[in-house]
Amino acid sequence: MKVLRALVLGTGLLMLTACQRQSALAPAGEEAARVALLSWILFAGAAVIFAVVLVALGFAIAGPERIRRWLRAEAAIRLWGIAFPAVTLAVLLGYGLWLMRETVANPRQPEMRVEVTGEQFWWRVTYDGPAGKPVAEANEIRIPVGVEVEFVLRSADVIHSFWVPSLGGKLDMIPGRTNRMWLKAERPGIYRGQCAEYCGTAHAQMALEIVAMPQPEFDAWLAAADSPPAPAGEAVERGAALFLASGCGACHAVRGTPAAGAIGPDLSRMGGRRFLAAATVPNTTENLARFIVEPAALKPGSLMPPFAILSGEERQAIANYLASLK
Amino acid sequence: MSPLARARRIAAWVLATRGQLALTAAATIVAVVVVGLLFAWSGVYNIAASRGHLAITDWILRFGMENSVKAHAPDEALPEGQDEDRVRLGAGHYHAGCAYCHGAPGTPVSPVAAKMLPPPPNLKDKVGGWKDGELFWIVKHGLKYAGMPAFPSLERDDEIWAVVAFLRLLPQLDRAAYRELALGEVEPERASGAEIAESGDDQDAIGACARCHGNGEGPTSRLVPLLHGQPAAMIENALRDYAAGLRDSGIMQTAATDLTDGAIRKLAAHYAGLPRPEIEPERADPETLARGEKLAREGDRSRGVPACLSCHDEQAIPTFPRLAGQSSRYTEGQLAAWRAGLNGRSPTGRIMAPIGRRLTAEQARDLAAYFASVTPAGQPRR
Repeated sequence: MKVLRALVLGTGLLMLTACQRQSALAPAGEEAARVALLSWILFAGAAVIFAVVLVALGFAIAGPERIRRWLRAEAAIRLWGIAFPAVTLAVLLGYGLWLMRETVANPRQPEMRVEVTGEQFWWRVTYDGPAGKPVAEANEIRIPVGVEVEFVLRSADVIHSFWVPSLGGKLDMIPGRTNRMWLKAERPGIYRGQCAEYCGTAHAQMALEIVAMPQPEFDAWLAAADSPPAPAGEAVERGAALFLASGCGACHAVRGTPAAGAIGPDLSRMGGRRFLAAATVPNTTENLARFIVEPAALKPGSLMPPFAILSGEERQAIANYLASLK
Repeated sequence: MSPLARARRIAAWVLATRGQLALTAAATIVAVVVVGLLFAWSGVYNIAASRGHLAITDWILRFGMENSVKAHAPDEALPEGQDEDRVRLGAGHYHAGCAYCHGAPGTPVSPVAAKMLPPPPNLKDKVGGWKDGELFWIVKHGLKYAGMPAFPSLERDDEIWAVVAFLRLLPQLDRAAYRELALGEVEPERASGAEIAESGDDQDAIGACARCHGNGEGPTSRLVPLLHGQPAAMIENALRDYAAGLRDSGIMQTAATDLTDGAIRKLAAHYAGLPRPEIEPERADPETLARGEKLAREGDRSRGVPACLSCHDEQAIPTFPRLAGQSSRYTEGQLAAWRAGLNGRSPTGRIMAPIGRRLTAEQARDLAAYFASVTPAGQPRR
């Protein structure tokens, strides 16, 4: 009974992983589909081999003498113990390499390029904007559906690893090196990713999201990057003034304003993001205000100093302003 | 057997046994401790300070003190030549922290302090017998059994060296010269007997900020910040942080501790409203100024240093200090404190501390030179 329950629960959990937005078993791109196919071949093959071993074990314990003699013969060990694994693994390796020929592909002309730099503990994102001007973003990467996107991966400090399981394999971001990978989302959706190389205190809280959207929507979104909404309403205007006067612009940039800091994440479209603190905390004005007063409470190891000097009302005003930036 | 004979037999047995020496020693120690405790318990010893020490006690204490100071003191010495800024800063603190017990030219030792045991010496006769490093060590750490306290902040060696620089000059000072150094522009003469009767004779003006920071004029020393026209909120925060021990400074903790909340608000409003005195902007070589200006305006992204002027220009919220027109010696000294990881406990300190730690010594020098070369209006005058 216990065993049955464990089996049911275990299978259920395994199936759950396939429903998630962050799962190598739920591919949404060519690259991830190849990885998933290879995985399923491995799982199925391993299951068949496991079953054969169990049957052989049963015969070895309680089978007829004829079969037991055949099983313990040296020829059987040579065949099933040496030749079979060697051939199977060689075939699998060959098949794997053949499948991955696209992944480690030769240089190609990508239709689109996104630069992603891993920093403790967030992702700096730069698009080639309209008219060749770079557009800075952070932690939420938007890409058009059906387009192969080249990701240029770098690190600003320690080794990070870029992994969005539903779209493809993972690739390390190594200080002083530029790595490239190509991902294509087959259908619109939100695909979650995670830093996959331990990078410090908040490694576990260094996530990202890739939002795949239809090409026209994406083009409109990128084209709007240069025209941030003017602060509307008294509360938002006050927040905008406080944002500048409190020195936020020393580290954060908001396009179209004097805030041009490049040390922390770009906040030009903060209000449009789904999450704060590298895809870990829902983006609400309450959470924004909490982050301003004590960043380390929401994001351990955050390099942003705490702004306890601001009153609750002032924090809320800045949060409202940031939420209005879309 | 008589008791005496029995005791003699026991003593003979003890002496004859193995380890007799150790046993005797242990017994002696126990006896001394017991007798000492009995002596202390009996109350026979007269603890009265009025009685003074025996000559031998006095000699032993002094002998031990002098050797201890010489053994512990650092070898460092003040640089050659008189450093006016240090002397004035040291004089300002001496007047508030030391003169009550040690007196000063024109300021007699308080009769209360004079009856301490040992009585605090007149330093005029004493400082010549110590090296710079020894004076530094005494001012920093104080002296046990003598009532000499340690410096309020053990982190600020720069302030302690200022006191030492002043002490070196002390023997040559007469009343007028001393008061010029320690009181600056403050002229503490009450007008009427009624005023003295109600407020006290304030001739020492110990708590007067203007002794160091100036009032009609600027600060007396370039190691002291110019407060004229700084935002009131910034001055209030600074005084509260000093009083609460959240910001490291032996001098300002001494000055700010007994200010009432009302006094802090009034002081802050007063200095915030003062017009800026005419101070000639400092000069420096153009390359230094250019580096300083670039850092102040743009920061240094490779080191995670944001632009100083994002928080320290005239448009910033009044919680942040304005740096333009501050003397380079003051700014560099403060940046040295940030670089050493000090001051990181107050709400404003927690913002600046991580940034200050990332600055190099050269960047701090460039910034200090740049801010000293401009006026608050932000117009570089070179």
